[in-house]
Amino acid sequence: MAHMIKRRKSFFQKMRENEKVQSISTVVLPVLLGIVILALWQGQQLHALFHTDTFTLPIPTTIGEIFIDNLDKIGKNTVSTVVVALIGLILGSLLGYGIAVLAAVFPKFGKGGLSIIGAFASIPVVALAPVLNNWTKDVSKDASVRSMVAKILVVMLIAAADMGLNAYRGLTELEQYSEDLMATYAAKKRVTFLKLRLPNSLPYVFTALKVAVPASIMTTIVSEYFAEYITGIGRQIRENIVLAQYSTAWAYILTACLIGIASYVILMIVQSIALRNYH
Amino acid sequence: MSETTEREKEITIEDLGVTFRDNAGNDVQALTGVNLDIYKGEFVSLLGPSGCGKTTLLRSVADLQEPTEGSIRISGMTPKEVRLEQKFGFVFQQPVLFNWRTVKKNVELPLEIMYYDKEERSKRADEMLEMVGLKEFANHFPRQLSGGMQQRVNIARAFGIRPEILLMDEPFSALDEFTKEKLHEDLLRIWRQTNKTVLFVTHNIQEAVFLSDRVCVLSPHPGRLSAVVDIDLPRPRRLDMKDTSHFNELVTKVRNSFEGGSL
Amino acid sequence: MQKKKITDQNWFSVVCWLLLIVAAWEIGAIVVAHTKRSPENILPHLYQILAAALSSAKVSGGMTASRVVLSSAGATLFRALAGFILGMILGFGFALLMKLSGVIEKLAFPYLMLIQLIPVLGLAPIILAITGDINQSRIVIAAILSFYPVATNTLEGFKSVDKDKYDLMYTYAAKKSTIYTKVLIPTAIPYFFTGLKIAAPMAITASILVDTLQGDGGLGCMLSQSLKHAMSIYVFWLIVFFSAFIGIMSGYLMSWIERLVSPEYRGSRRAKAGKGGD
Repeated sequence: MAHMIKRRKSFFQKMRENEKVQSISTVVLPVLLGIVILALWQGQQLHALFHTDTFTLPIPTTIGEIFIDNLDKIGKNTVSTVVVALIGLILGSLLGYGIAVLAAVFPKFGKGGLSIIGAFASIPVVALAPVLNNWTKDVSKDASVRSMVAKILVVMLIAAADMGLNAYRGLTELEQYSEDLMATYAAKKRVTFLKLRLPNSLPYVFTALKVAVPASIMTTIVSEYFAEYITGIGRQIRENIVLAQYSTAWAYILTACLIGIASYVILMIVQSIALRNYH
Repeated sequence: MSETTEREKEITIEDLGVTFRDNAGNDVQALTGVNLDIYKGEFVSLLGPSGCGKTTLLRSVADLQEPTEGSIRISGMTPKEVRLEQKFGFVFQQPVLFNWRTVKKNVELPLEIMYYDKEERSKRADEMLEMVGLKEFANHFPRQLSGGMQQRVNIARAFGIRPEILLMDEPFSALDEFTKEKLHEDLLRIWRQTNKTVLFVTHNIQEAVFLSDRVCVLSPHPGRLSAVVDIDLPRPRRLDMKDTSHFNELVTKVRNSFEGGSL
Repeated sequence: MQKKKITDQNWFSVVCWLLLIVAAWEIGAIVVAHTKRSPENILPHLYQILAAALSSAKVSGGMTASRVVLSSAGATLFRALAGFILGMILGFGFALLMKLSGVIEKLAFPYLMLIQLIPVLGLAPIILAITGDINQSRIVIAAILSFYPVATNTLEGFKSVDKDKYDLMYTYAAKKSTIYTKVLIPTAIPYFFTGLKIAAPMAITASILVDTLQGDGGLGCMLSQSLKHAMSIYVFWLIVFFSAFIGIMSGYLMSWIERLVSPEYRGSRRAKAGKGGD
């Protein structure tokens, strides 16, 4: 056994076992990779790799310049996209949660309803968006309003499906014996719901939101492609590409990515506050 | 049983039988022909191997399981009536603590359900936590506690509602021997202070003998009550009693009263 | 307990719900038919859509409506499948690579998380611009969209192997390759399928979306054309129903394949047949 202890460790092994090195590398390595990719992009080596030119794939500094020059317009379109995604997400989540509650209260028929809702989630947005455009034709005389309603409805359906399935699990997948515990207290159904099911479902709500938040942004962007009224990040990406203004399109793509990341960060902050008591 | 006859009967179980139907559609007799009287303030253990129906018996008393034959009367009432009057304290195998509530809030849970006001809830929860020795952990969350501490919170919660009858379903089976012995002493101390009737399910012979006034031995296939053994060890029980020959004789007596041989 | 009644079965309530939806649709269609000038644009009767599917009238290029849908679906779905398989292989391979090398995991993991937050479908037009070919961009986008759910879920599967299993393998002095084939990969398979179930409808959505960007055949292209009344509006409805059906079925198909390949499913089926009670 003694020779095992004396055996010399290789350099890599030492690195692997050093915790400090490990924790630093977790941050440094991806940052380095990011810098390398940006450098290759800026230096146009990336273009050579993809057989493309700086016209369709503008270098980062150009995109940055365009982004700053168009801050006003980008801001307006961002508001349009975020408002649709947010309203759709909120209404859809409420609807989904409501359906989950009904399914938990009336399991016999509720479970089938959930299967249907789950199926709705896999309907391509591309098919939903034009249908809802048609359905909302008479909602308002104002094209901007009715196309916003149509977009919100699509996002709502997608968000409701996500929330419904997860919330149902949260309301019904209870710790073993916890329902029995409530029964020994002769707790009414309503009390069991408020004190046990509802708090139990909260972490599942966030699981649903982690999928629903990026999905609602993606859905908003796609339904903007089909909307009657021209507005939003997604529509701007498309319009600018049709006009062959690729660098402007890229500035909007950058915006879309920033919205995606920002919304996730916000969600994580909200989650850490809401679930601070859940260990 | 001569010294207990003059005491008041609390639970009367007559010809109790419970039959389940399994997935294949066959009837499985979990319990059959159980007759048992339990007296007020008594500590009774239901002892047996898995599958003997001891938990089914306990759950029937708590109205968590409907018997298919026979009857249970608790001071003249049905289990359901007693449950609706919120007179049961049930301690499950697992702590069943809500991990979004602090330790104190967990103890307060049944009191909330029973509409006690805030001050009373807080006062009682403090009292109970003091009793189980977890006063300084009142504002911790369950997951921050060890298994033994969680089970103590469970016990504090059960006693907090001042139940008439305490039903315990293998509450210590998941704990290590050292923690278990400590909790045995705690439980007996609290029981002595409150003087409630305790029905205690276990598969551990030593545990049953050490804690109980009487040990009800159940045997499987079909689940039935095969013997009742009086435990005449003096109270209060102390851990060193486990080393006495009398304790070991009682353990042997209980072990020999199992039917069906192969355990 | 009594024997299971028909009303207790899950499929029974699914059927009830379907009937309810059909009823709601038809009531809507009747209302629309009486109040709107061109009801078939908004909400046609289901039998009208069915009739359009079965009718032999030529709607475009000498083809019936069903032929139009099926032939364009062929182009779209084949690319979606190609991209899906590509993304699946890359996703699994990448997860394996990340498991094998800590450095690669550290390099790439944050980006794998990041890519989930980026609306990749928003990239569709730009990828079309870069590749310049609709077929290639269909495959690329379907591949990207399939890649990350597969990669993240499979990696989670690799990580879910508990320490005891490694210790057990250590006591057998198992080779690294054995640990992978006997422990890690079998454990990760259910997670891999979770990824596939998410990826499949996304690949289809992506592929249809890319169609709408360029008039070159495909479901999405026909969808936009019929919306613009270049051909019968019923083609639009047929495509809506068809793509919804395909999207839903793709998820079920993955579950079915999972059942087919995973031993624990087969085992549980066998166990169910001869199960005793407890």
